[in-house]
Amino acid sequence: MDLKISEVKLSEEEVGKWGMVIDQDLCTGCQACVAACAMENNLSFVGEEDAGYGRSMHWIRIERFWEGEYPEVKMTPHQPMLCQQCGHAPCEPVCPAFATVHSQAEQLNLQVYNRCVGTRYCANNCPYQVRSFNWRDYERPEPPPNQLNPDVTVRRRGVMEKCTFCIQRIHRAQDKAKSEGREVMDGEFTTACAQACPANAITFGRTDHPESLVSQLAHQGHGAKHLEELGTLPNVTYFKGG
Amino acid sequence: MIKKFFDWLKQPLGLIAVGIVFLGVFSAVAYGIYLTQQTPEQPIQFPHRTHVAFGIQCLYCHPGASKGPAAGLPSQAKCWACHNQIAKTQTSALLAPLKDAVINGESIQWVPVAIVPDFVQFNHRAHVAAGRNCEECHGDMSQVDIAQNPQVFNMGWCLNCHIEAAGDDQEKLVKLSDCGTCHY
Repeated sequence: MDLKISEVKLSEEEVGKWGMVIDQDLCTGCQACVAACAMENNLSFVGEEDAGYGRSMHWIRIERFWEGEYPEVKMTPHQPMLCQQCGHAPCEPVCPAFATVHSQAEQLNLQVYNRCVGTRYCANNCPYQVRSFNWRDYERPEPPPNQLNPDVTVRRRGVMEKCTFCIQRIHRAQDKAKSEGREVMDGEFTTACAQACPANAITFGRTDHPESLVSQLAHQGHGAKHLEELGTLPNVTYFKGG
Repeated sequence: MIKKFFDWLKQPLGLIAVGIVFLGVFSAVAYGIYLTQQTPEQPIQFPHRTHVAFGIQCLYCHPGASKGPAAGLPSQAKCWACHNQIAKTQTSALLAPLKDAVINGESIQWVPVAIVPDFVQFNHRAHVAAGRNCEECHGDMSQVDIAQNPQVFNMGWCLNCHIEAAGDDQEKLVKLSDCGTCHY
């Protein structure tokens, strides 16, 4: 047990590359991020029946919880939940096909669709429950296919998928910066959810650059990470009641 | 009943029948694989050979290669810029589809030859910027009419080149052999 704690402490000093800060006090629960994410990442619309089976596909969702006993029930602030891009991810070691792997270059959790065989073990092992499985080849509403983002794979039946921190935008920004012979600037691009947020509750950027907005926010002190006690080293910081 | 069938198969005539069935299945599979490796039918029998011989650069018709992910296939307007000044365009039967496309304002339905699956995100710009020449992947276009793939674009082939390009640079190797560089 001592060994386990020391391991966690040791790896806590490692800093991921990309990170996100979500201010729950600013979040109004408007679901704009959910819609923007679905559009950006070619998410399927599962329809009423499959949603009833709990097969909804969202890479980000707004969670609501209630506190207290009736009649003094109080709702907690809205909590956008997405893949925390753990530095020490529980989903990764359980995949028998190495379809969910850790990107050494970007320090993100990747889902390699062409490797995935659909065991769904990763989703069962994810403490944040943010992975969704393609139970069918879902029909896409009109007008297809021009609404699809060409930079993102259209997933087929039988593969797992999850938030990628809009890795296609990361690559595009890096490619643009490289063609202009410079580094990617802070705030030059952002994820679809952060871009869509009308309240600016979501901030995305480099956590390993101390001067970036996201790392300045993350080090304000009262930020919390979800289920940190599991030693997952999440890269998303939440603010609540600040 | 089944025993009778196997006894019959052991006779010379049966062995020949087994041989014929095996050959039939084998050649059907071989023909199927052969068909997948053929260059697709194009709306115009475009001779790359001739155009390269005139000294036209690849980037003139496929300008996206140095700017972005897709090299692009030229529209009929690009063809027409040169071809409307060439008398043969008006008379040649081979060029009739081009003439019709321009008159009717329809686009030419080129069939892409060099394609990768949907789960592969390929960026031409990065490869051109890294000093790769077009012919290293697409073959020598001065030797073919309709574009052909000189090799199968599979992951082993991509990775071989990526690892070679990284050399001893560990940081570059991590980036170039990362799953997330191409698959997302």
